[in-house]
Amino acid sequence: MSAITLRNVVKRYGAVQVVHGVDLTIDEGEFVVLLGPSGCGKTTTLRMVAGLEDVSEGELSIGGRVVNNLAPKDRGVAMVFQNYALYPHMTVRQNMEFALRPMKLEKSVVDKRIADTAEILGLSPLMERRPAQLSGGQRQRVAMGRAMVRTPKVFLFDEPLSNLDAKLRTQVRWEIGKLHQRLGTTVLYVTHDQVEAMTLADKIVIMRDGYVEQVGTPEEVFAHPKTTFVATFIGSPAMNMIDGRIESGRMVAEGISFAIPARYHVSEGQAVTLGIRPSEIKIAASDDAGALDARVEVTEYLGNEALLDLRIGRHEMVAEVPAADRVEPGRTIRVRFNEAALHLFDAQTGKTLAL
Amino acid sequence: MDKPSTRQAILVYTLLAIILIVFMMPIYLIVSSSVKPSPIMFQKPPAFIFPVTWEHYVDLFTMRPFAKFIMNSLIVALGSTAFSVFMGSLGAYAISRIRHKRINDVAFWILSMRMFPPIAVVVPYYIIFKTVGLLDTPLALIIVYSTANIPLTVWLMKGFFDEVPTALEEAASVDGYGLVETFWRITLPLAAPGLAVSAVFCFIFSWNEFLFALMLTGSEAQTATVAVMSFWSSDAVQWGRIMAGSFIILIPGVIFVLTCQRWLVRGLTMGSVK
Amino acid sequence: MGYIQRRNRRIFLIFLFPVIVALFATTIYPMLYAGWLSFRNYDLAKPFIPRVFVGWANYAEVLSSGPFLHALITTFKLMAITLSVQLVLGVGIALLVTQKLRGMGLVRTLLLIPMMISPVIVGLVWLFLYFPELGYLNYFLSLIGLGPVSWITSTDWALLAIAIADIWQWTPFVMMGTAAALQSLSPEPYEAARIDGNSRWDVFSRVTLPQLKPVLVSLMFLRAIDAFKIYDIIFVLTKGGPADSTEVISLYIYRQSFTFWRMGVGAAASFVSLIIISVLITLFFKSLQRGQASKG
Repeated sequence: MSAITLRNVVKRYGAVQVVHGVDLTIDEGEFVVLLGPSGCGKTTTLRMVAGLEDVSEGELSIGGRVVNNLAPKDRGVAMVFQNYALYPHMTVRQNMEFALRPMKLEKSVVDKRIADTAEILGLSPLMERRPAQLSGGQRQRVAMGRAMVRTPKVFLFDEPLSNLDAKLRTQVRWEIGKLHQRLGTTVLYVTHDQVEAMTLADKIVIMRDGYVEQVGTPEEVFAHPKTTFVATFIGSPAMNMIDGRIESGRMVAEGISFAIPARYHVSEGQAVTLGIRPSEIKIAASDDAGALDARVEVTEYLGNEALLDLRIGRHEMVAEVPAADRVEPGRTIRVRFNEAALHLFDAQTGKTLAL
Repeated sequence: MDKPSTRQAILVYTLLAIILIVFMMPIYLIVSSSVKPSPIMFQKPPAFIFPVTWEHYVDLFTMRPFAKFIMNSLIVALGSTAFSVFMGSLGAYAISRIRHKRINDVAFWILSMRMFPPIAVVVPYYIIFKTVGLLDTPLALIIVYSTANIPLTVWLMKGFFDEVPTALEEAASVDGYGLVETFWRITLPLAAPGLAVSAVFCFIFSWNEFLFALMLTGSEAQTATVAVMSFWSSDAVQWGRIMAGSFIILIPGVIFVLTCQRWLVRGLTMGSVK
Repeated sequence: MGYIQRRNRRIFLIFLFPVIVALFATTIYPMLYAGWLSFRNYDLAKPFIPRVFVGWANYAEVLSSGPFLHALITTFKLMAITLSVQLVLGVGIALLVTQKLRGMGLVRTLLLIPMMISPVIVGLVWLFLYFPELGYLNYFLSLIGLGPVSWITSTDWALLAIAIADIWQWTPFVMMGTAAALQSLSPEPYEAARIDGNSRWDVFSRVTLPQLKPVLVSLMFLRAIDAFKIYDIIFVLTKGGPADSTEVISLYIYRQSFTFWRMGVGAAASFVSLIIISVLITLFFKSLQRGQASKG
């Protein structure tokens, strides 16, 4: 039995539709990340699951039960909010107690649960403090603790790391992953940060403008993006995209042409978009006949790697090369695309041409 | 703006000294006249040092049941405050949370109820209260004052509720709390300063009110403001008693100004200036 | 029905509906009652005359009679005097008390006191000051070679006497609102103007004043609405006299209803004043909404 199922779920505000028929199945214990730019409908989808927004159309079930019209409290979910939503007039302990009160548990059970959770999250010394007396990272952990004590069937996270600084974010991200492994609870997690998605998710749901673009494991969405949007959204630096056309079985774009790998289905004359990740553009030997001329415009040194802003024919592209191989700006070098790693998309629909 | 020079500072202080003298003079007169012996009440030049007498205060409470009138004022003010803050908070919460294109109209309609001239409705009130036997009772004034105090509370509390993040209520509703419980345990405690400010404003307004109290009460439910006015009779004006009574009446307002002036702007402009 | 929709419905029913009902019962009903009365011949001084429907007769009397129009003009005259003085004085004092000098907080607190005093007490203490023969105001004026003035007993001075009492009580209101607005202004335009070398007056009239305008408009509307209702101070000081020179709308209604006991005529006058104040209130709300809209 799946933990959460969305069947053609639609959200409408008056005449404006913001989520267009989302279908999604989340299995028991899975860590699913809703990923997309702001305004893509990911938070609205999460809030519909939580019961904080009504479902306009379609069916939403949690644990096999249709919950469209159930109050949030009857859905067996717990949520960690973006700004943590800690009750400012209560101490850390009271925040957790407050979350447990409606369950009408015995005092000893309540105390034990709170103590255990505090132990796991390292909150024990902070229990009598109020949210205002805590650091950002501590507040974040209290928010998780408040959700954890209720031992819900499903955890919902709404951009939980967006208010933390970069260093803390990495650490808390790691802690969340560890917690999930330990508790094994189903998680639905919203973020716009692809690193969070790639590192945490069993399954990533990439959304854009209220539509689901692709659902897949981190490896799948990285290696086999189904649309140009996914291709450019996942991976950093972003995938290079070139518009071109199929001519006599080759992809031709002003000044360059490539053989089409067998896994793509194309027709003669078709307008296509070619994608190549910066790491798949290699510096070639100067006598390599199959290589292309590339003028280096800018070089960005990143430590282990360097990014080269290249001008190839009329196209601007970024290549990621080992830092040792970096080139002075202004020079012209020879580069070769790893043809096995080329991506081809229909230029009109943006959909992959992979078979 | 930067710090004024010494010359400018002297100018500012001089002007403010004059302004303060002018604006504080009537208040000084109330205080001093309430303890000044009647024979030198209008002595010119005014005596700044004189034998303090408490006879006006003694007269105030012995010649007339002034304690009872103060009691009436207190009952009316506290009654209307309690009712208005309760009702007003409810309305304010709804207006703060309901997202509907007409909700602003409702809010303005409520506010307009406070702005109509009391004199225009005093006759109907008089007739209605007479019919139902509420004339000259504290309840009549509690009802009437609430018509002004509820709108005030609605507008004040709306501002305070707006500042309570809805995410807190959402957290509570995910945690298992219903609408009323969330309001009671999360939203209201966080808007507590607003409750205090609203209560004080309602109290002061009711305490100071005169027109309705004059029209709708007789000897039984008379309030302090009406009682003080009644010392002004055509044959002999009892200035000492008037000033003693006035001083007692202005105490709550002065305490309010001295303790929570930072909320005054918001209260008196009904939230239109923060 | 979805949970959020149910919840919104419950917020309306539990939280808003009772308030609307309460206000309807306590405010709209009496107003409607006043409307009903205004079409009757309801004369308490002549209880033997039947309280019959008289159509627009009361309105005709009110609108065509000199006293009502006189009261209306007096009300607006008083409003014009008090509002303009309070505006100038209030802004001026606000500029003084927002200087970065010691003791400004205390000065401001003291100046707020008059607003919190019951209008009756304000009336009484100014009566004490104006009192014929005895009052201190003429004595103070004589010290600087002015007066004496028959403050409340002469038709020339009575309205001004009332205006002074109102100005004393409510200038602090304009001061307080302006000072709050002044302190919330961003300092950057001032710094820019200073760097550009503008004079103080230029900075005030071109930078400060335009930014203050929305607040000043709000404050003036609130004052205007209050000034239209003014009653207590006049009741204490002059009761509308001498010779009707200070009879404003409220006093006119009061006299019709409680001196001549002509409730129908009083109600008709009340209704006319309700309509006038409604216009003021609507204009105020419009300006408020514009303010909110421009704030984004």
